[in-house]
Amino acid sequence: MASKIGREPMLDMFIFETLQQLEELEQIVISSEKTNGLTESAISEIFRIMHTIKGSSAMMLFNNITSLSHSIEDLFYFIRNDKPQNLDNSELADKVLESVDFIKVEMNKISNDEDVDGDAMSLIEDIKMFLAQLKKDNPAVKIQDEIQIIKKETSQKYYITQSKIQPLVEKNTFKAIILYQSGCEMENIRAFTLIHNLKELTDEIWYNPSDIIDNDSSVDIIKRDGFRVLFKCEKTVREMNSFFEQIPFIEKLELEEVSYEDEIDQFLEKRKIVLEDSIFNIEKAEKNKDSATERDIQIGSTGQSIISVNISKLDKLMDLVGELVISEAMVTQNPDLRNLVLDNFQKSARQLKKITTELQDVVMSIRMVPISTTFLKMNRIVRDMSKRLDKEVKLQLIGEETEVDKNIIDHISDPLMHLIRNSIDHGLESTTKRVASGKSETGVITLEAKNAGGDVLIQVKDDGAGLDREKILKIARSKGLFNKPEKELTDKEVYSFIFLPGFSTNDKVTEFSGRGVGMDVVVKNIQNVGGSVSIDSTPNVGTTITLKIPLTLAIIDGMTIRVGKSRYTIPITNIRESIKVEENSVIKDPNGNEMVFIKEQCYPILRLHRHFKVNTNITDITKGIIIKVEVDDKALCIFADELVGEQLVVVKALPKYIKKIKGVEGCTLMGDGGISLILDIPGFLNNQ
Amino acid sequence: MKTVLIIDDASFMRLSLKTMLERNGYKVIGEAENGAVGILKYKELKPDIVTMDITMPELDGIRALKHICNYDPNATVIMITSMGQKTFILEAIKHGAKGFLVKPFKEEHVVETMKKLQI
Repeated sequence: MASKIGREPMLDMFIFETLQQLEELEQIVISSEKTNGLTESAISEIFRIMHTIKGSSAMMLFNNITSLSHSIEDLFYFIRNDKPQNLDNSELADKVLESVDFIKVEMNKISNDEDVDGDAMSLIEDIKMFLAQLKKDNPAVKIQDEIQIIKKETSQKYYITQSKIQPLVEKNTFKAIILYQSGCEMENIRAFTLIHNLKELTDEIWYNPSDIIDNDSSVDIIKRDGFRVLFKCEKTVREMNSFFEQIPFIEKLELEEVSYEDEIDQFLEKRKIVLEDSIFNIEKAEKNKDSATERDIQIGSTGQSIISVNISKLDKLMDLVGELVISEAMVTQNPDLRNLVLDNFQKSARQLKKITTELQDVVMSIRMVPISTTFLKMNRIVRDMSKRLDKEVKLQLIGEETEVDKNIIDHISDPLMHLIRNSIDHGLESTTKRVASGKSETGVITLEAKNAGGDVLIQVKDDGAGLDREKILKIARSKGLFNKPEKELTDKEVYSFIFLPGFSTNDKVTEFSGRGVGMDVVVKNIQNVGGSVSIDSTPNVGTTITLKIPLTLAIIDGMTIRVGKSRYTIPITNIRESIKVEENSVIKDPNGNEMVFIKEQCYPILRLHRHFKVNTNITDITKGIIIKVEVDDKALCIFADELVGEQLVVVKALPKYIKKIKGVEGCTLMGDGGISLILDIPGFLNNQ
Repeated sequence: MKTVLIIDDASFMRLSLKTMLERNGYKVIGEAENGAVGILKYKELKPDIVTMDITMPELDGIRALKHICNYDPNATVIMITSMGQKTFILEAIKHGAKGFLVKPFKEEHVVETMKKLQI
């Protein structure tokens, strides 16, 4: 999801971090489902993630997200502390995942500047009821094993410590009534802090309400009547005023010197028994953990090996490195230097090129991320589909460590999801059918990623029923989709029909697929990043869909060619060979199109000077150069004047004020400042 | 200019605090994702102020607070807490935290706390 220019960085960070945490959360839940139960650390992690999301969303005022995450937090707080029995893990997982989905939808709205207006109330009610039921089934264990310390209310004040001798100084008595600013929260704790600080000046303190630690309703009393303190110390009123001035969040202070006898009755309440058990327990727990602390610090010191960087900074870096590459070429290949013998200069130039190339490699590698994050997302799809369609499905991941440009990852996630949904919905047969044909009950979807030359190959394989050639032919026939005589269509070509818009062999439309708007969108998305999609299948064995995606969009290895005064660049990955041809290898087909024989195969010729209407002296087929290019199984021969040379070029999109040119996918700056148009080879081949 | 070390496991919270602090004349000289790294950074950077989240992995805010206050009795640590973490805050105050902010807080709360505590 792109970061909009000018959007508050905090919002970006909120979105980035929250989405990351939601992914993590999903993974924890799904893998816990498989192992039949949440481990203690999984529960803690879920609690912590929801707690964090609650906090962040509250800061950003997205209250529906806050309330929802709060209810999950409460639920897991209970699960963590009370360890209830008979926990329905499946229902629990469903609740968490539903919440994840809700928040994801809201996050999407936030990303798109839409109103964050989702209503989580019914989901929250559901969760609360689930928790209430849990509590009912697991009545709280009475705190018998917790030691209760009973402390008398007025044990403070008149005592002589062992270290101090009570000074015989005249003490003043002060009464203070403090009202806190509204919205500062936890007024009782703030009051406690005040007393804690006051204790540094004197031990003779009385206050009302006195049960500020344990009684949360003291917050309301303090809000309503103020926090009242009576104390004795040898400071002056002015000194005490400055003391209070350093206490945050005080809205109003009434401080006056009084007589102890007059006021003390207000402050002494009936003796109360104060339970300090909660604080005691923390201390007890602390003692157990203290020994682990040193070790913890060791772990901490090796923590930070990863930092998150804003994508726009990386984009800028890549742009600059691209420009650097071009500038380096402009210097080292400068026409002014032609024909000069410059040994020392050449040596330095080579060093410069070496470093520039290395820099470029490093920068490109920074943008590479392992495809594992995208693959892991598919777990959720498989889980949901398998549950809903009642099919046992296993997802196998191979090659998740394969790295892909960050830009591209964003574009393949949706297509992959669709392909997997399709495979489960249509590819995999029902459990009964599988067993009947001798297959295992559990269908297997394999997601594999691997490097192949300048591309990444991603395959989605299923061991299902395979594609029905006849069925596809029938529909293609009825829609008149053939561009070749039916008999000449290879299996692969027949299967590829399913990528055409509106094509669907499904008789019924399910909520997941069948509308025929999925596959063609997948193909379009992949082609948008410069890739291609192909499909193969064996009846009863399964279907394999292969996505071929270039490693990076921005810099390609290209062969520059010249036609007249113009230059064009062909991506090296498309080039198979380049040759000069003889008169007798060129023929014309029945339609008058030129064809050339290379190694007993016949290829159509594309004369660039004709296609782009460029003037050139070289029109004789034997005087120019033929470059054979290929994409998948289609090939073509391009006729140009001459080869200029191979180089890395930075692909720049055509400026927006130029309409799309057929056959051109971008442009690049040459070393001498001129422009070369980058040819769109797949585009040429598709139009044949 | 007073220097601040922010210790919180959520990058978003760290960014929010940093933004608020820097808008009000404080300089954030370091960030840490958990208490353990926080302690190390405190010793290395010696900031004037520390903001400390409570719930963090590896080492939580209360324990980190204790370490820092032990190491430097003059340390100024402000706890960042949520509603419902009352006992932790009490613990923190007892062990030397100078103040606390309750999430979700606004910039004026941060300013008020820093100003009054004269930091």
